[in-house]
Amino acid sequence: MKLVNKYVDKNGAGHVTLRPEDDEDMWHLYNLIQEGDSVRAPAIRRVQNVSATGSTESHRVRLNLTLAVTRVTWAPSTSASAGDLAQAAESSSTPQNSTAALHVTGRVTSENPHVKMGAFHTLDLEVNRDVRIEKADGWDSIALGRVQESCVPGRGAEVGAVVCGEGTAIFCLLSEHMTVILQRLEVPIPRKIATGSSAHEKGLSRFYSTLYSSFLRHIPYANPSLRAIVIASPGWVRDGVYDYIMSEASRTGNKALLGARNKFLKVHVNSPHVHSLVEVLQSPEIVSQLKETKFAREGIMLDKFHKMLGTDEMRAWYGPEHVILAADRGAVGTLLISDELFRSNDAALRKKFVSLVESVRERGGEVVIFSSMHESGQQLNQLSGVAAILTYPLDVEIVEAEEREAKEEEERKAAEENGKGQ
Amino acid sequence: MSRHRYVRNIDVDEELEEDILSDGGDDLSPEDYELLMDRVDLVRATLGSEDQSGISDHEVKDTLLYYNYAVEQSVNWLLEEQARKNAAKERKAAKEREKAAKLAQSKATSPKIARPSAPKAAKKTAPSKSGSGTATPTRAVDQRQLDISALNLTAKEDAPVEEEPPKPTIALEKLLEEVRKEMDTQERSEKRSLSLVVIGHVDAGKSTLMGRLLYELGRVEEKKRMANERGSSKIGKSSFSWAWELDGTTEERERGITMDIALQSLSTPHREITILDAPGHKDFIPNMISGASQADSALLVVDSATGEFEAGFERGGQTREHLLLVRSLGVSQVIVAVNKLDQVQWEKSRYEEICSTLKPFLVQSGFQSSKTRFVPIGAMAGVNLSSRDSPESGALKQWYKGPTLVDLLDTLEPPSRDIMAPLRFPISNVFKEQGAGIGVAGRVCGGVVQVGERLRILPGDGTAVVKSISNDDHSLPWAADGSNVILYLTSVDPVHLSIGSVMCRPDNLIPLATAFTARIITFDIDIPVIAGASVELYHHSRDVPASISKLVSTLDRATGAVVKKNPRVLAKTTSAEVQITLRNTSMSGPSAQAPIIPLESFSNNKDMGRILIRRSGETIGAGVVLSLLS
Ligand SMILES: Nc1nc2c(ncn2[C@@H]2O[C@H](COP(=O)(O)OP(=O)(O)OP(=O)(O)O)[C@@H](O)[C@H]2O)c(=O)[nH]1
Ligand SMILES: [Mg+2]
Repeated sequence: MKLVNKYVDKNGAGHVTLRPEDDEDMWHLYNLIQEGDSVRAPAIRRVQNVSATGSTESHRVRLNLTLAVTRVTWAPSTSASAGDLAQAAESSSTPQNSTAALHVTGRVTSENPHVKMGAFHTLDLEVNRDVRIEKADGWDSIALGRVQESCVPGRGAEVGAVVCGEGTAIFCLLSEHMTVILQRLEVPIPRKIATGSSAHEKGLSRFYSTLYSSFLRHIPYANPSLRAIVIASPGWVRDGVYDYIMSEASRTGNKALLGARNKFLKVHVNSPHVHSLVEVLQSPEIVSQLKETKFAREGIMLDKFHKMLGTDEMRAWYGPEHVILAADRGAVGTLLISDELFRSNDAALRKKFVSLVESVRERGGEVVIFSSMHESGQQLNQLSGVAAILTYPLDVEIVEAEEREAKEEEERKAAEENGKGQ
Repeated sequence: MSRHRYVRNIDVDEELEEDILSDGGDDLSPEDYELLMDRVDLVRATLGSEDQSGISDHEVKDTLLYYNYAVEQSVNWLLEEQARKNAAKERKAAKEREKAAKLAQSKATSPKIARPSAPKAAKKTAPSKSGSGTATPTRAVDQRQLDISALNLTAKEDAPVEEEPPKPTIALEKLLEEVRKEMDTQERSEKRSLSLVVIGHVDAGKSTLMGRLLYELGRVEEKKRMANERGSSKIGKSSFSWAWELDGTTEERERGITMDIALQSLSTPHREITILDAPGHKDFIPNMISGASQADSALLVVDSATGEFEAGFERGGQTREHLLLVRSLGVSQVIVAVNKLDQVQWEKSRYEEICSTLKPFLVQSGFQSSKTRFVPIGAMAGVNLSSRDSPESGALKQWYKGPTLVDLLDTLEPPSRDIMAPLRFPISNVFKEQGAGIGVAGRVCGGVVQVGERLRILPGDGTAVVKSISNDDHSLPWAADGSNVILYLTSVDPVHLSIGSVMCRPDNLIPLATAFTARIITFDIDIPVIAGASVELYHHSRDVPASISKLVSTLDRATGAVVKKNPRVLAKTTSAEVQITLRNTSMSGPSAQAPIIPLESFSNNKDMGRILIRRSGETIGAGVVLSLLS
């Protein structure tokens, strides 16, 4: 993303103009724009004129519209149809990189010759078109952090991953903030039966060749920004897949693919489902090569949280109420929080999470904001979106009892005061 | 594309107005639009108004645009379209009449129906009426049925009459009678059948034992044995020669590791036994679970070599995990074969040490000691499998006088079969066979299935007709609860058949669920389970991503009484009630199949109500389904 213009004062009032450049930037914008914000972006309107003779004439005009946002919707990109895969093998079409779509709906708030003030409009935000955002409640540290993060020049590392099982393969592309599932391949392989195994082996070789053509279509192996290509599976499928890819590459003289040989990493995972991506990210192979990337850090943090849960349950807390209680006591060493919580339309709720983050940071704690577009973020979302590793053990039940007592005390005092007043 | 974008950019205020424009005339210049409207009038002149012709303006415009404004071509096409529409209407009306007539007839011919409840009775008779029509569905009939079902998509109100003809109830009753008789004779003749899953840590000698046992019982021809011997020694794996009988795929043979279940059958004096040889390797536990869910009893093989037994039995070893898994899946009888005693010079003390280490664990895991038997063996040399007559048995004969493995197999107790339950057939394998067509393998989990029956496949709306049933190369007219069989199918679209799907009789379908409550027990886990934990859910041969969406309560293991409501975590070996929700793991991009699986509460169907929960390659719990949530 390009930062075109930024004017924000100390109190967070002001506006930021951004130019999105790819799907991931759209995701950033989705996380930045909220109900109530004011957004200005280019739009196309059809304008009708009634001529003197009574015939109508219509034409389109390009114009900039400013909206008071009432709704933001996000539709992730879908670059290939799911599924089945005999066809996938046949169709040799190039990947149509259909992009993610971000729609912003609201009332027009700027004076304009073509559009009435207060009329509803939906903006389709587009790549390479500037968007100006003014926050209703001002720019807080999370929003500003997001702007900064999204505008770091040069894209972060990208990783292609193929999570395989016997007869299944899921092609994914991981960038800093997003995991895009490019295709789910499923080639039915008959399981071995007592009588002969030729059907099984036939299925297996069909699987390999289908997988190979999908691989060529989806994984941008020759692209220098692609840091690694992970082939992950339980058992030994990944070996078979890797060997097949390399032997096909040399058989067909695919120099680019042969040249990418050292980008390949074979990783053992325990299941062929997408959620194994977190295991991929926690694997030593990835950690040693890509530990500075956001997705690897998220994977490592989630793993740390789980490990802490195992070693000292009283130092691994989850759920907003509990984590906020721990933060109040200054006990949070590492905060794991999902970006989903900052997309809340409830301004008060968002504020609560923003101040949670700020208070942890103030005390020198580490904060990792997870992206819901990664599997690690999805898993954190299931755990209510927030978890914490504490610096010292705290018993939830004791803390809750303390809170209750404090509250009762307060109530008692209030009641006493009332009594005095009477 | 441009059209969609354009439509999206329309103001809400103006949308109505715009609608008229965009109706077929989108993106036209004003001149073209004029021309189009002109031509519409010309077409209407021949065709008549929308009400008269049944053709909408939109259709007229689309047609004109398609034929590049040519009026004559458009009119011709639209007239054809009109004829098609009328014919369809007529067909529908005719069917309506037929239905009414049938209904009237059924009313007339059933004088037994009490007058006051006439409407209700009429409803009831309709399906059975249509059902009694077809006897054994043939190919021709199927074709017609397919057409009819296609029609149903558009004419919903026809659904009750056109529904799949359920098998005449009378036939089912007769069948059940026959099945019951057959089972009685089986019981009396003392040649009863059951299925056995062979489990144990990797390399314990499971496949070797089965290969050798099959040979001892005359199930492997000498020629085959020699071929296995030659083949295995050629790739330097001669110690796996016996295992080759079961490890059939190239990869299994090259690696010397079983990767998937092998199905065989053998016969002892009083038992017909279906053998499911499971893989021991940790990564193939999903396949092992698939095998275990098709078995009534288990044969645990342990390696007695120094250090090897211990490796399998320590935490994380598969001796432990497999035992817990089969027990959780309802297997209550287990034979423990203590193998490779040749490696420890047939020492009695080693055998006894292993038995006494295993016994308490078996009891803890829920196996009654009366249903647990131990036997010392040497799989490779065939010692104490069916006899102790070979020279290699000398050392063992010195101290062991008990039963052989075959003696023990021969006394395994087949569980009772429930043929009255609704039919459930969870698919564990789908394959095509030259000449025989599409086959699905699995175990009948309740009820009876017979040749000629049309079954529904869930999830989805597929159906299939059972062409033949086979079991160990024998062709059967029917198969009852507990049988491991292959159903060969016809009139089926293979896209509906996938491993894990369940086949049912159309009049009694298994429910589908995406979320449910379950009572679970956590195993010996390091990391406690918290609300929202990501797991894999195992049900028969299927595993799906899921989450423990809610911790409802922890329970007393013995009484089942609630210990704590809404616990924050579930520690190891805890009994609890939880909610489980299937996950739709799509962050971005095409989503996986809608997460829904066939499932039943344990109280309705024990076989279909058991679940296992795994995480990071480790079984963390097992349980039973309490109720489905929707
Ligand atoms: N010495 C000795 N070796 C045996 C005996 N039984 C099996 N083995 C050896 O143990 C090794 C493993 O045998 P398998 O039959 O493949 O073991 P498995 O339990 O089926 O292994 P997986 O299916 O891969 O878990 C082979 O090398 C066998 O030759 C025995 O009685 N004595
Ligand atoms: Mg084996």
